[in-house]
Amino acid sequence: MRRFTEEELLYYDGRSGRPAYMAFAGKVYDVTGSFLWRGGRHQALHTAGADLTEAIKAAPHGPELLAKFPVVGVLQGKEKPCEK
Amino acid sequence: MAKVAREMVERAGVNVDQLLELLVKNAAAELNTYYYYTILRANLIGLDGETIKEIAEVARIEDRNHFEALVPRIYELGGKLPEDMVEFHNLSACRPAKLPANPRDIRAMLTVLVEAERCAVRGYTQICNMTAGKDHRTYDLALSILHEEVEHESWFSEFLGEGPSGHFMRRGETSPFVGKFLK
Repeated sequence: MRRFTEEELLYYDGRSGRPAYMAFAGKVYDVTGSFLWRGGRHQALHTAGADLTEAIKAAPHGPELLAKFPVVGVLQGKEKPCEK
Repeated sequence: MAKVAREMVERAGVNVDQLLELLVKNAAAELNTYYYYTILRANLIGLDGETIKEIAEVARIEDRNHFEALVPRIYELGGKLPEDMVEFHNLSACRPAKLPANPRDIRAMLTVLVEAERCAVRGYTQICNMTAGKDHRTYDLALSILHEEVEHESWFSEFLGEGPSGHFMRRGETSPFVGKFLK
């Protein structure tokens, strides 16, 4: 599984045809196909290419909604020990 | 635009541009839902479909009312709706509530309806959280809409058998909570 640094993740911001990736709890998810992530932005508050682990705590939904998106890698330094 | 009204909200610490974007996205979701529910309603036929048609119709009309109630607040705060309807559709806060592949599959129809309402419940909860104690007018509006969206969710959820029934279909006029913003 690909390991992303936070700097590498920044590239995947969903803009100008680039894929939209976001990280949560050490996993990197591909949200490119989601209607709610069009243009790499989510509900006016969040942008792709970032680690949203903290942000999701204030969101009106839990991480269970991420289950439908493919995991494309892990975020270096944030992955759980079994994923290293 | 209500200059002082916006200033008060800004001074309370709300990012008004961000709030406006959310209001426009949710207004788009409401108008889209009104449109897609029109198609769903037309396809709610037969013994099962007719059973939920009236509730779907109430949700459809109330979602249109939500759009109507949101628009004045958007302009009060200095925002505006996009001039292009396609752009407006595409920036919706919720996925389009499209007719399922098999419109005779009532569970699939109910799933589309309940998911649309759940998206709305999340959206207005977010706006309430952002504005509570800071932007009283937007909070009151978002909370009023939230009351109705929670009821919509409950109606469809109970038809899906997700839990015991505690809600009844609307009695009296539509939009008992949002109605005050429409007068």
